[in-house]
Amino acid sequence: MALMPVRPVRVTVFVRLKLRMLGHGLRGRRRRVVTFAVSLAVGLWLAIAGFLLFLTSGAVGRDIGYVMASFGGATLVLGWLLLPLLFFGVDETLDPARFALLPLPRRTLATGMLAGAVVGIPGVATALAMLGVAVAGGLRAGPAGVGVAILGGALNLLLCIVLSRAVTSGFAALLRSRRVRDLAGVVIALLAASMGPLQLVISSTLGHASLAPVLRIAGVLAWTPLSAGFVAPYDLADGRPLLALVRLAIVAGTVALLTWWWAVTLESAMIGVSGGLGGSRPVRGGVVRTLLPAVLRPAAQPGQFSGIMARELRYWSRDPRRRSSLISIIVGGAVVPVALRLAPGHSAGVPLPLAVAFTSVAGAAILANQFGFDGSAYAAHLLAAVPGRTELRARAAALSVIMVPVLLVIVVAVAVFGEESGQLIATLGTAAAMYGASMAVASVLSVLVAYPVPDSRNAFASAGGSASAKGLLAFIGMVAAVVSASPVLMAALALPGALSWLVLPAGLAWGIAGVLVTTRLVGDELDRRGPDLLGEITLPS
Amino acid sequence: MPALKLRGLVKRFDAKLAVGGVDLDVPTGSFYGLLGPNGAGKTTCLSMAVGLLRPSQGRAYVLGHDVWADPVEAKRRLGVLPDSVRMFDRLSGPELLAYQGLLRGMPPDLIETRAGELLDVLGLADAGRTLVVDYSAGMKKKIGLACALLHAPRLLVLDEPFESVDPVAGSLIRDILHRYVETGGTVIFSSHVMEVVEKICTHVAILADGRIKAVGTLNEVRAGRDLEDVFVEVVGGRVATGEELTWL
Repeated sequence: MALMPVRPVRVTVFVRLKLRMLGHGLRGRRRRVVTFAVSLAVGLWLAIAGFLLFLTSGAVGRDIGYVMASFGGATLVLGWLLLPLLFFGVDETLDPARFALLPLPRRTLATGMLAGAVVGIPGVATALAMLGVAVAGGLRAGPAGVGVAILGGALNLLLCIVLSRAVTSGFAALLRSRRVRDLAGVVIALLAASMGPLQLVISSTLGHASLAPVLRIAGVLAWTPLSAGFVAPYDLADGRPLLALVRLAIVAGTVALLTWWWAVTLESAMIGVSGGLGGSRPVRGGVVRTLLPAVLRPAAQPGQFSGIMARELRYWSRDPRRRSSLISIIVGGAVVPVALRLAPGHSAGVPLPLAVAFTSVAGAAILANQFGFDGSAYAAHLLAAVPGRTELRARAAALSVIMVPVLLVIVVAVAVFGEESGQLIATLGTAAAMYGASMAVASVLSVLVAYPVPDSRNAFASAGGSASAKGLLAFIGMVAAVVSASPVLMAALALPGALSWLVLPAGLAWGIAGVLVTTRLVGDELDRRGPDLLGEITLPS
Repeated sequence: MPALKLRGLVKRFDAKLAVGGVDLDVPTGSFYGLLGPNGAGKTTCLSMAVGLLRPSQGRAYVLGHDVWADPVEAKRRLGVLPDSVRMFDRLSGPELLAYQGLLRGMPPDLIETRAGELLDVLGLADAGRTLVVDYSAGMKKKIGLACALLHAPRLLVLDEPFESVDPVAGSLIRDILHRYVETGGTVIFSSHVMEVVEKICTHVAILADGRIKAVGTLNEVRAGRDLEDVFVEVVGGRVATGEELTWL
């Protein structure tokens, strides 16, 4: 039987398909219409804001305009790069997987998808903003500037779209896998946690009120595809047309490279394979060896204690919920003392031992719902009749393997950069006491007021209701920890310099004794109420 | 001495009576099937028997050791495959087995040999470093069974071991359990699949609405009939008479 003759598929087919799907999506569904109206409004607002920003960049002084164009452009491109990754995909109205059964050449499919991608709120909004670049180019460098700016703007629009498509289809296989979704959770946690430091940096930069360093950054950005296309008119205005062409070539080259990569990965995105994560390497050297991390092997005798410790260490890095709490705590713990010590306007600052109190206490308070993270998996410990004492101490030891070096680095760094090295020893002592006291309080809370932590894709989901009330208890527990370690803090603040080294052994003893005594008492309680604890941390199915 | 002895087990959740007084004797060396429809209280009952759920009333004994008064001795002799409970599934299979062995206080070289053998027999050796969370349902059951067997318990309590397991894995699990019973072990498992129970069990108990409705050796409970008919009759499900749904 002869095959039906094939008429080549034109790009307009994809554009019409996209438009029709957008139209159908709106038909008769109020919620969708509302969503569409809202995104249209947001898109329009962003388009106008972008247009005005780029327009203004053409009207203000040369340097400020340069910075605005460079930074504004880089933000735009980065937004196209990151947003789809964070929200697990771009607009999937034209999902490559849906074309998998059609006999389309790769080239047709790629151009069609690209054209379809421009037709949409983000694409149109970006195009509108690019008009601002064109006008500004005209203001800067006359008609030739308009030409360069339009070319640059079109290339940039293409760059944005190819970038987001290439990244999502390149990672399509990955985004389907649990590991990478976990990783995306980490990225979100990192971004959320770095809001604080970013604010600090911005405020201190504005405080300096000098354009020179910012201009230098803008100059570097101008050589990357992120903002090369946006600053090209400036080169023209500076009388360097060749340089302007080089900038455009940078963008064009990147677009070409990304298009190629995209076309290659498009096929795997269509098939939807999610293999190739290297999950099945053979296990060598015995199973116990694979469980115990290298750091533990020389130190610990294989047994319940080292086993739990090893499993906990693995879980701090493998469980996305734990990992995002850990990252937030570490970033927060690094920022708070820096902010307290080095914030502009406070010449004296808070005394060093007090400044690291939050870091030390929060570092251990992460254990306040340690069993909640386990959920019903804790049943394995219950079935093996693990003594409560061993249980709590092994968990405390595992966290300390991570947290003590972090604390050390933070305390030493803050002391050295704050030029307070003289107080370093006493501060380390306070930190040890605070960390130990907080660990003790957290152990008590974790046994007595545990609550389930939902294992959702969203690392920030909460069980709601009683969980937040119990989370508040953890905060009160942190205050209690500070209070219970206050004698050591007092000593650190009051002792004369020659005797301040005494605080270190005192703080260490205070912290370690606190953990040992508490885990012993609460461990016995854990032996009694283990099954009840299991019930409290199990999510109702 | 029975391998598992339950006396007057009761569990109340607020106003609801989930298990209303269960007495059961599981003879040593038996292959015991605990049958019941969904929501009959099978999981609740077994959870109380192994020390995971505190009973409102009643006692449970594993080979003579009171599970709730002397948990350490009872749990040493007990291997459990829970159904609704998660494992530490962000470990790989070999890691999970090693962890189980360490928790049970086994010497490392013993863990090595037994874990290697279990992984081979259950066909999990190829999975390598894949995390258990990424295993298929059947593989999860198998690694769970390996965890329950690792310390060579004298009594195995399995909650729905054949649920969502493909026929190949299912028959493999059955073979392993058969061998275990032949060497003097005791198995009690819950299920609502009649064929499996009829094929492998020596003893059967039917649980419905939190109470034992029928109990004895397989032949006693069957009394010459089909187990499924007995089950439906005892549980009190309706049987289509042919009068309804005539429009079909």
